Amino acid sequence: MMRRRPCIVMLFLCSFSIFGCATPPPKADLEAYNEYLAENDPLEPLNRSVFAFNRALDKGVLQPAARTYRAAMPLWVRQRIGAAIDNLRSPVIFVNDVMQGEIDRALTTLVRFTVNSTFGLAGLNDLAGDIGLEKHGEDFGQTLAIWGAVPGPYVMLPVLGPSNPRDAVGRVVDFLIDPFNAWTANSGRESLTYARAGVAALHARAGLLDLTDDLEKNAIDLYAASRSLYRQTRANAISNGNVTGPDVSSAPVDFPDLSGHAEIKELSGKP
Amino acid sequence: MKRSFIILIAVLLVAVAPPVRSETLEDGASAFIRALEKEAVESLTDPAKERPARVEAFRKLFEEKFAVNAIGKWTLGRNWRRATEAEQKEFLDLFEDLMVAMYVDRFQNYAGEKLDILKTTPVDENRATVHTEIVRPEGVDAKPISVLWRVGRQGDIYKVLDVVVEGASMSITLQKEFASIIKNTGSVAGLLEELRKKTTQLKPS
Repeated sequence: MMRRRPCIVMLFLCSFSIFGCATPPPKADLEAYNEYLAENDPLEPLNRSVFAFNRALDKGVLQPAARTYRAAMPLWVRQRIGAAIDNLRSPVIFVNDVMQGEIDRALTTLVRFTVNSTFGLAGLNDLAGDIGLEKHGEDFGQTLAIWGAVPGPYVMLPVLGPSNPRDAVGRVVDFLIDPFNAWTANSGRESLTYARAGVAALHARAGLLDLTDDLEKNAIDLYAASRSLYRQTRANAISNGNVTGPDVSSAPVDFPDLSGHAEIKELSGKP
Repeated sequence: MKRSFIILIAVLLVAVAPPVRSETLEDGASAFIRALEKEAVESLTDPAKERPARVEAFRKLFEEKFAVNAIGKWTLGRNWRRATEAEQKEFLDLFEDLMVAMYVDRFQNYAGEKLDILKTTPVDENRATVHTEIVRPEGVDAKPISVLWRVGRQGDIYKVLDVVVEGASMSITLQKEFASIIKNTGSVAGLLEELRKKTTQLKPS
């Protein structure tokens, strides 16, 4: 029996290397090797399997529910639900604003929470937004990024979707610092935590329907497209929408042939 | 005597000659985006036009206003050099078809909605970023959509180099997709096969 153990371990490792890990290209092909490092997705084969699973789950359960929600609930109701979800999220946003040293934004979040929780009738109305205190998001993954943490490799989490070690840690911390969760846990109302998560997921999924329908139709490699989009939108969120930062602007503007080469003249020369 | 006369003429010429370019890059780039919006609305919202005619009008607009070949070449990245001349040519043709098919509906959905130009920032002497917002008439989330237009200038001609919607760049996303397909199929030919399938499936016209 003892002799079979290493066999099982070997079998596990083999299957992991077949289904789990991508094989890096040889270092001799430096460009390909650098591309592999830049992609930072060593678990790609496994991630793709999880992605396929998530998509099946989405198609079978979440997406139909989100479509029904969008079709059945009037816009007014969905706006109220969205505002309430955002309002419940405010304490976590506030703490992250503070931890990032964004005092103006922290104050905005604080005033928003105060106004919307009271005059906005328990957050159902975004009155603060109407008077120009617009909402913004923050999470601990972004705070870690501000503090200098690298994202680490791309990871496709089952059910939860695209992530990386930094953002996954962020999710856990955000859950732990949320006073709502502490309150439900201490008062035996855990079911409210699940209810809130369910409604938030449904509402968020409904808001993404147009985008995902577009992607389903237009993407050529949906996995690669969503990986890139996840990273770009995270970079955008971390910079608080200031996408002129080096991360995003350096690449797309670097079109080699727009600085006076013959061929661009030829293609620009069309009347 | 003769020399100082020449210098005098030169000084006069410099003083009298109008500046080579009267408009700044920023003004030119934002005027270009304004014109693009106007033309897009005209070519996409004409109810008298059938869809094929609309797609054709959009293709014309697209060829005129977007640096299609430059974007295509950039998205292929290092694989551009690895492709044969025939592959490069087929790629650029397929790339244009793909972009037209992808963007005709995206433009259509937004044509006629308010496009606010917030500011224009220079990237270098011939490139600028036009920051715009599309204000959706109504929705669950009232926040306007941020759209950045990367615009390049060549002489008096302006072209769109990239569109960045809510931080997501069209060019970067396509480049990552293409690289992934080439890696997984092993060749540029594999990508062309996928592009042929996709463009047929999307049926641009």
